[in-house]
Amino acid sequence: MIQAAVWFFGAVAAMATLLMIFQRNLVKSALLMLAALLATAALYLALSAQMLAVLQIILYAGAIMILFVVALTVMPCALRDRASRSVFLKVLGLAAAAVILTELLNVSGALKGFLRPVDFSETGTLPLARELFGRFAFQFELLSLVIITAIVAATALALHRRRA
Amino acid sequence: MIAQFYQAHSDILLFAGAAAVKVLVLLNVIMGFTALLTLAERKVSALMQDRIGPNRASVFGFAFDGLFHPVADGIKMLVKEDFVPAKAEKLLFTLAPFFALVPVLALFAFIPFGDYVMVFGYQLDLQIAQMPLSLFFVLAFSGLAIYGVFLGGWASKNNFALLGAMRGVAQMVSYEVVLGLTLVGLMMIFGTAGLQDMVRAQGRLLFGFLPGWGVFYQPVAFVLFLTAAIAENKRTPFDLVEGESEIIGYFMEYSSMRFGAFMFAEFIEIILVSMLATTLFFGGWQVPWLYDTGFIFPWGSTLPLNHYLVAALQTGAFAAKTVFFSWFLLVVRWTLPRFRFDQLMALCWKVLLPLALLNILVTGAVLTALK
Repeated sequence: MIQAAVWFFGAVAAMATLLMIFQRNLVKSALLMLAALLATAALYLALSAQMLAVLQIILYAGAIMILFVVALTVMPCALRDRASRSVFLKVLGLAAAAVILTELLNVSGALKGFLRPVDFSETGTLPLARELFGRFAFQFELLSLVIITAIVAATALALHRRRA
Repeated sequence: MIAQFYQAHSDILLFAGAAAVKVLVLLNVIMGFTALLTLAERKVSALMQDRIGPNRASVFGFAFDGLFHPVADGIKMLVKEDFVPAKAEKLLFTLAPFFALVPVLALFAFIPFGDYVMVFGYQLDLQIAQMPLSLFFVLAFSGLAIYGVFLGGWASKNNFALLGAMRGVAQMVSYEVVLGLTLVGLMMIFGTAGLQDMVRAQGRLLFGFLPGWGVFYQPVAFVLFLTAAIAENKRTPFDLVEGESEIIGYFMEYSSMRFGAFMFAEFIEIILVSMLATTLFFGGWQVPWLYDTGFIFPWGSTLPLNHYLVAALQTGAFAAKTVFFSWFLLVVRWTLPRFRFDQLMALCWKVLLPLALLNILVTGAVLTALK
């Protein structure tokens, strides 16, 4: 039963991701990415990782994707975006994609040896929180600096456009 | 063969059957209540404006003071012309109402509408999805409803609809942050994110007589929650998303039942907000001083009750509280004027958000001091 759900949602996620890559329309491709994210959340749920599934939906599907979609819609330049004619850029893109793909395959190969099927278990939210706010509290708080930088940058950009 | 299959999987079949029954019953009750709520909205507004309200729709001359109006509205929606703009994205244009409706309906699975009933020696929990993190799921699914607004505006390929959708998305995203933060204090106090556990925790007494409902622990959070929830629900005073007659909303190209689905989703959200307010802040199905065995009053007297009577009283209390809050939301809608958009955003980010954060801080300080 769990096996079937995992296969099904995995296939849906993979399919949606592929469709997203080959979709020309930016907003539609963002929506396909949403489908992929939701399928991944369902995958986590099937593996009884409830906390992970919820965070996946709240953070990625609910917040980040909305920002993507809004940014895509309100930016006129995003709608006018045309594929570049330059051959050099295309080759560069393909090369980058090849590098990322090989790296991913490498990592997944290493992971496969590392993973064992584990019995049905609840997610340990409390141990995770203890680690995050205990041992890694400093690193965790450092991470928020990144977000503040992003906020400051976004505000600066918005103000710049208003003055222009 | 069938008997064998049943033998092997009896527990999961029983579970699935019970869940299916619960889903069917709850959906029917909610749909019926929503239909009545559309009538109640018009009747309440009529009462408040010294009018009579809808009272004409009749079957064989019996009008029952407008009771058939929801049915007439439904028939009207179904048979009106179904218009799709020529340049619209057909698939997404069709999908948008579903995006608005489905997450809202799915949310009811997490709300406990009673404790439990014993049926043939089988303990039937009165909640569809018993999950330890149901409050987070509520927040997650309510976030997905935003896509209905966005898709409705974008797929119509109409600039005014798109502007309306952008307005709606900005409003819903902003108020969702406040909505999530107001609930943190409750999670800290009750020490759980499961709605059923939260309701059970509210059965304790404060000072020996006061029911330990969330509103007595977190009064500020309740006001913030209700404000943010009305804004999330896109109703007056926060109805800039639609603004029926003056400012145009994301669904301006929608007609017939497609528009009906958006409207229906909004009315279902009223029930949802009422149920959440009840569950989180007003003890859910808890009746003051009513326990598993019957009433135990703080002045010492007791009134033992049958298990089924207790379950019926609790579910009835939940329904009564929900009806009260639905009525309250209708009254709010017809009392307050609409905000301007900058006022709406300022209220969210400059007033509600700092207050919600302050609430968390104070709750944490008090909890630490009490420890």
